[in-house]
Amino acid sequence: MALDFCFTIVNTQTFMQAAPVPGTPVKRLSRIILALALSLSIGQAQNPTELEKRLADLERKMKMLDPSFLPAPELAIIQRLDALEARLDNALSARSSVVAPAAPLPPPPPSANLASTQGGPGLQPVSVSGDFQKAVDSETRLPVAGYMDFHVNKESGDSFRPDFHRFVLLFGHSFSDRIKFWSELELEHSLVEGGEESGEVALEQAYLDFLITPKFNLRAGMLLTPVGIINERHEPPAFNGVERPFVESIIIPTTWRELGFGFTGDLGKGFRYRTYLTSALDASRFNAEFGIAEGKSSGFDSSMRNPAAVARLEYAGVRRLTLGTSLYTGLAGYNTPGINPRVTIVNFDGRYSYRRLDLRGLFANSWVSKAGALNQRLRQQTGVNPNVASQMRGYYVEPAFHLLPRRFRHDVIAFTRYERYNTQQAMPVGYLPLPQFNRSSWVTGLTYKPVPDVALKFDYVFNRNQSSVVNALNGLNLGVGWWF
Amino acid sequence: MRYFLTLAAACGLLLAQSDAERKPDRVISISAERFTFNPSKVTLKQGELVEFVLTSDDTDHGFRIPSAGIEVAIPPQGRGEVRVRFIAKEKGKFMFECSRPCGAGHNLMRGTIEVK
Repeated sequence: MALDFCFTIVNTQTFMQAAPVPGTPVKRLSRIILALALSLSIGQAQNPTELEKRLADLERKMKMLDPSFLPAPELAIIQRLDALEARLDNALSARSSVVAPAAPLPPPPPSANLASTQGGPGLQPVSVSGDFQKAVDSETRLPVAGYMDFHVNKESGDSFRPDFHRFVLLFGHSFSDRIKFWSELELEHSLVEGGEESGEVALEQAYLDFLITPKFNLRAGMLLTPVGIINERHEPPAFNGVERPFVESIIIPTTWRELGFGFTGDLGKGFRYRTYLTSALDASRFNAEFGIAEGKSSGFDSSMRNPAAVARLEYAGVRRLTLGTSLYTGLAGYNTPGINPRVTIVNFDGRYSYRRLDLRGLFANSWVSKAGALNQRLRQQTGVNPNVASQMRGYYVEPAFHLLPRRFRHDVIAFTRYERYNTQQAMPVGYLPLPQFNRSSWVTGLTYKPVPDVALKFDYVFNRNQSSVVNALNGLNLGVGWWF
Repeated sequence: MRYFLTLAAACGLLLAQSDAERKPDRVISISAERFTFNPSKVTLKQGELVEFVLTSDDTDHGFRIPSAGIEVAIPPQGRGEVRVRFIAKEKGKFMFECSRPCGAGHNLMRGTIEVK
């Protein structure tokens, strides 16, 4: 064993305990015997205060070795010594016969596995202390992870519409310490029926990681495109608001998954990167309202003839600060013969927490080359001019404040998010921007977390646009999301 | 005699507690957050007694050192901490990783202990 671990686990809230280790009691007892032998020469006169202190310390140690031992500081010193001696005698008498501890230890809670009992010879659990987790507080671990999202949405003038938006299960497997699999299977809107408008079953991720060195690893399969914050961090408790930010749904496609392969790594000093070649966006699905967002292939009927390149660099070298930037570029014309526009996206984003304040923000700009020719070709193909812009832009900022002090186990977060997004930021020659697609939103609400992985959400959305004809509708959203 | 024998046992036991009880040479706080440990690289001196104080800034994570056969769970944010104490006896690089599925970047949630 390269690392020789003398191992202590202390968990101040949820506590763990190794199963009885064969040989451990013997080691404990041999330690006691050694202590006796070493200390025969130490018996010198001492003052009462020091004696009390040492006695209390001994009682504390004994309790660590034998949790059933109860110190009785109210008794006289000689009685306390008698009790200790009796307990030592018990331990010594058990020396030759058993491997179990003097008193049964609580079973390990499922949330806190201590696998060190299977370690090599250099691994030696020594002691356990702290508050044992009560069964009623423990959380059962399943072999899969997942998250779920249940919403009730109401737009102005409309009724409340419930929607079990997402039911997602995640599976992973380690073939070895260097080859790992990860996947995410999603059912949206709770129902899928053939030939009818309903939900979807989607493979959001399914890839293999070949872990070579910390700085250089290979990844291949169905990948999340690393642009923005939400694409790779979309578990409901990980963001405020019932729905994902508009900018990260419209300016940046979300959840954007493509087939591909690439490299990932940790460069040190807090820098890490991901860079992939992926299947391309499909320009035939671009439009005025959602920009390029509906052009994601999601791995179905996609094209790698002209693979897109995407790279993301993140800095997370300071605790609770993450800064990121992404660049995406790729040709998107595999379904528009003769027109092969290039899509380029640049984004900057950041997240920071200071005391009870959270801040996050994002800026994204995308360019579509040959947008004029693309509009003409799509009008020929479909009969409708999609009015695709040559440039789209969006940003948002979101301050959030934790209303309860840290000592509370529950968390209530008040947040406000301002978003500005325009899918017609710049138009090709001969096309005019439509003002209803120059939009902004104020999203304000509360997130309540009874436990860190369960979020009950409420928000109100004030939508605005630059049109004097088309009104933007406000919305009220309620939701509950959870991760396990 | 019995009095002193027991008291002597107490003193000896204190000595015998050694690495588990003595003050570590270094205490290093490591926070876990999807999908990174901070810091993700820790440099130690050979022979140091080190204590890692592991906390989470979001969900619960795992902390695993495969080469040492160690795996513990880090409780979610605000639900406590885990302390792992060890002696780095040999020089080399040793990987640690998250052992609790935590999302899209779970496989890459890793770090390195370098013992010099």
